[in-house]
Amino acid sequence: MLELLQDWLQRPNFIVFVILFLWGFYIMMVHPNLVKKLIGLYILQTSVIFFLVAFSAKQGATVPVIETDSLPVDALRYANPLPHVLTVTAIVVQVATLGVSLALVSAAYRSFGSLDENELLEEVERAA
Amino acid sequence: MTNQLPILLFLTPFVAGVAMPLLTAKRPGWCRPVTLGTVALLLFLALLNLVHVLTYGPMEYALGGWAAPLGIAWLNDSLAAMLILTVAFVAQVTLLYGYQVTSPGLERSMAYYALVLMLLTGLIGIVFAADLFNLFVFLEVAALAAYALAGAAGGKSAVFAFRYLLLGSLGAALYLLGVGHLYVATGTLNMADLAIRIPGLLSSTAVASGLIYIFLGLSIKMALLPLHGWLPDAYRNAPNAVTPLLAATITKISLAAWVRIEHSLILPGIEVGAVPVLVLLEELGVIAALAGGALALVQTDIKRMFAYAGIGHVGLILVGVSLGNATGFAGGMAYLINDAVMQVALFMIAGALLHLHGVRTLDELRAMQTPSPWLTGSLLVVAIGMVGLPPTGGFFGKWNIVLGALEAEHYLAAFSVLASTLLTLGFFIKVFACWFHAAAADAPAPPEMTAPLSTALGLTAIAIVGLGVFSDPIFHLLVGFASGGGG
Repeated sequence: MLELLQDWLQRPNFIVFVILFLWGFYIMMVHPNLVKKLIGLYILQTSVIFFLVAFSAKQGATVPVIETDSLPVDALRYANPLPHVLTVTAIVVQVATLGVSLALVSAAYRSFGSLDENELLEEVERAA
Repeated sequence: MTNQLPILLFLTPFVAGVAMPLLTAKRPGWCRPVTLGTVALLLFLALLNLVHVLTYGPMEYALGGWAAPLGIAWLNDSLAAMLILTVAFVAQVTLLYGYQVTSPGLERSMAYYALVLMLLTGLIGIVFAADLFNLFVFLEVAALAAYALAGAAGGKSAVFAFRYLLLGSLGAALYLLGVGHLYVATGTLNMADLAIRIPGLLSSTAVASGLIYIFLGLSIKMALLPLHGWLPDAYRNAPNAVTPLLAATITKISLAAWVRIEHSLILPGIEVGAVPVLVLLEELGVIAALAGGALALVQTDIKRMFAYAGIGHVGLILVGVSLGNATGFAGGMAYLINDAVMQVALFMIAGALLHLHGVRTLDELRAMQTPSPWLTGSLLVVAIGMVGLPPTGGFFGKWNIVLGALEAEHYLAAFSVLASTLLTLGFFIKVFACWFHAAAADAPAPPEMTAPLSTALGLTAIAIVGLGVFSDPIFHLLVGFASGGGG
């Protein structure tokens, strides 16, 4: 048990990722307010991005721009650019999702005058 | 020139979609002809691409001339070519149909046409992508367009489109998490490279959990039971002109993306922690096929009923592709193509009923005059296809899934196909009983159908039968693909 705990504490980044992911998931599923659901979704997506950044961190490495002409290049001195590229792309996707979701939330608010999911569903039932 | 077909296929809807606001800002009447023309061009290019692939074999397309390990690879093989032809056909039919059956204002709305084109862009990207992260990006491009389309009518549709967005984005986040796991374990995102490295790494928990996250994420997108919660309400409330396109493409193409991953990474007989993975997937498909069919049977709302039928068929296709033999795989993929066409037809009929007659539920259907012969005829053809009677394509798909199941000696899978067929027959009997019910004499006569609507219905009926008539070459192609030829 203690060993398992020690194992886990070796990787604080991943513990933070798990906490953020579950926290976001909980908010998303439990809060009736649509904007709070969105905040939950945002935390959840951010936790995944944090995971990508966490595993690509490299100590003592620099930006992957090779300055010398001499080969072979010492790969250990450079950070792997790919996870960072993935991260940037994932952030762009996240922002686009946020834009579309805010548009949908405001459309729902304009029609029914509420942001509370339970009230919205009642309104929808009444309208049907 | 023909070597550039994949990128041309991708750029055609993309350029038109981006240019749409510029082209039509002052001339809103241009939206529809421009979109129809673009999709017609897409259909032509897709045909050309299929011919090209059949003649010269599968082709790897390196974007920007950067080869696979460094650059992003697209795979243009027979499966991709057929799926893109299906998507283009489905889009063309939906656009034809949308002329009459649109919500007020939508037929002139630039955003609707731009979004349809962006959806097509995303779908074509998903089909071609041979790189897990590239696949993620296109999944999100298609999904964002789908959320916006599903909520296009405002009001109720926006509420349910928002729920779709929440679950869909959760699926995307899970998928990305899985991609991260696989990258950590293997150091590559290219599917061909992964296929080489994964079999030796299956004891790693990172690979196993990565595959599980990817499957969970795509399961939400393909509405595999029990992760289907977003689908029925989103489809029921989406505008009539949107539902057929969403129903035929989003779930089916997400499933096709999973099939591509499953086919290249999970070889038959692979076990993770003593669990045979393919058998597990097959059992999940069995549950979805049976539960989806049963849920369809108890619905009273027509669109929801058809939505649950679609959910059941996703399970059926998953059963077929997870049997671990070429017959079942080919049957499943052939059924996927058929199902895309049949779902378009089903939701076009449901939308036409709602638009022309104001009918949403079975009770309202019972109370109205027998609808136009075009609707009746097309519903009959779809019913024959969904139940799976020859000569429609549905029969040959199901038949080969059953043959594959018997070949693999998975009798439960064979049983589930037959049981789901009976459930499908059951709910169509319910629909027909209301359809042909003699209406009260004072019920209003049905309004006239316009030419584009009846053309769209006729085209899908022809396609459903045509897929059956040409099922033999399609099946041979898919068997060739499954047994490793790729072409």
